Amino acid sequence: MSNLLKGNFTPKKQVQANTQESEDSSLQAEFKKAALNSIGGSMVYVERTDLTWSGDDE
Amino acid sequence: MAKVLFINPIVREEDVPRHIPYGIALLAAIAMKEGHLVQVYDANAWRLPISTITEVCQADDWDAICIGGLTTSYNYIKNACKLIRQAAPNATLIAGGGFLTSMPHEIFQWLPELDVGCIGESFVTFPEVLKQIDNGNHDFSSILGVIYRDSNAKAHLTNVRPNIHDLDTLPWPAWELFPLDIYFENSASLFSEESFTSKRRMDINGSFGCGLTCKYCWHLGTTGDMLIEPNENGDNDVVFTYGRNIRYHSADYIVNMVKHLHETYQIDFAAFIDENLMTMDVASKGTWLKELCEKWIEAGLQPTCRQQGIPHDENCRGVHWNGTSHAGLHRPETLKLMHQAGCTHLVYGLESFDPKILKNLGKGSNARKNFNSIATCLESGIKPIPNIIIGFPEESFTSVRNTITALKELGITAKPHFATPYPGSEWYYQYKHSILAQYNGDLEAYIMDLGDASKITAVISHEFSALQLLGLQQIVYLKDLRLLDQSEQHWGKAQTLTQPVAVPQDAFNLKPLRQAGPLAIPVVNVEPVAIK
Repeated sequence: MSNLLKGNFTPKKQVQANTQESEDSSLQAEFKKAALNSIGGSMVYVERTDLTWSGDDE
Repeated sequence: MAKVLFINPIVREEDVPRHIPYGIALLAAIAMKEGHLVQVYDANAWRLPISTITEVCQADDWDAICIGGLTTSYNYIKNACKLIRQAAPNATLIAGGGFLTSMPHEIFQWLPELDVGCIGESFVTFPEVLKQIDNGNHDFSSILGVIYRDSNAKAHLTNVRPNIHDLDTLPWPAWELFPLDIYFENSASLFSEESFTSKRRMDINGSFGCGLTCKYCWHLGTTGDMLIEPNENGDNDVVFTYGRNIRYHSADYIVNMVKHLHETYQIDFAAFIDENLMTMDVASKGTWLKELCEKWIEAGLQPTCRQQGIPHDENCRGVHWNGTSHAGLHRPETLKLMHQAGCTHLVYGLESFDPKILKNLGKGSNARKNFNSIATCLESGIKPIPNIIIGFPEESFTSVRNTITALKELGITAKPHFATPYPGSEWYYQYKHSILAQYNGDLEAYIMDLGDASKITAVISHEFSALQLLGLQQIVYLKDLRLLDQSEQHWGKAQTLTQPVAVPQDAFNLKPLRQAGPLAIPVVNVEPVAIK
């Protein structure tokens, strides 16, 4: 947990970086970035996780 | 004293955070020096979901929340402003930086959450705004260099703020307010062996301004080329000119700052983010860089590899550095001194090797100087990093052929940037009508589309469309003259049958005259290099 704010006084409330959450989301983001940077030939990237029609929408 | 929160927006989301925001760090230092209570949330370093803005805005009762950056950070700023206003309705929301100064009226129209903005150089304006807020006075109409809203929410610009004269009066940036470890993780860059092995790089800025008048460039309106004049509706608006006030820090200021960074943060690399080191050196009649190199060595900052004349390796101590150069203004003896002091690479905006393009560009260089600059720089031991652009207004098959031929002869591989009319540049004003036509009249959509010119946005080439420029970029990258000849045979004659993609027009916001903005204390107004 790291403090997100840096300054010359102590604010009323500390704001911490939730490193667990950010690591999880950054893994997805990191993979996407790496994959998109390698696009070409047989290297493609599928962004969607679900393309099945559930029948709820028109 | 006011409680002030700075928010550094995410920029270049596709890349890791590499640069501590120099302007915000300077303004934070100035605010602290004035006695204000300051906190910084560096969103660009942390790269957390934008909803984090709400948390930081609720961390205290902020008197002022400040946000700003380059035009390419606009998307983040727009979303952040909505959250800031919801989370901290009583705070004064202040904007500043390039995204605002280049087009203040449009930004205040698109971002109704903004209360006040600093236009141009903010070193004096910003603390005056804070002082006013601290006094409970939210009438900013008497402060020079701001955009503010009247009681009907209409935006007004006050008159131009004179630039400060002596840059050495500025404090050092407040680096300690930023998550430096995140930036140090991304210290390495692929420009030279020394920069590639850097573990602790920090940016420094030795000067403001540039004597050149390149049509693609805009210097944040802080370099003395900005005026404020009534437009056709009688409302004050920004006007950019060919006037230039050249200002640079003393060698002592820079060397003392780097020595401090070396001793305090153990930096091994200093990246000069100056617009162009060589134009400063010319303005100083060739004394500035010489003195800087000598003092760098005297201060013990010279890397040991350069001191001992041995190849660089992991045992090297000292501070390497890099900067920007110019094909027509660099001098071999200065380059040698720079190499001796630890300079590893210099960025050369060669842009093109076509005589017609270079003549119209306002860069003050030509094809011969561009060609020779690579050898001159290499001879000093410094690596040249040439930048190339494609899609100039005058771009043609012949100009692309000239560039490819030179790249082949010089052994350079480059995937060119696309000529991009960033707000505030001469191109932007000349081609604003064409940009609007390409974005269905939606200027904000264009601003939100802008990136770092490695992707194509608005086209300003008269002859080539985006379709052709994308192909030509690949052909330049491959240096394939066969493909270029084939493309010209197939398409060349058809060019006469097509409508021009972009057409230039005159605009109020650009005055192509050598009229510089005011300085707090008048000094010599340097003639633009390219017009000589």
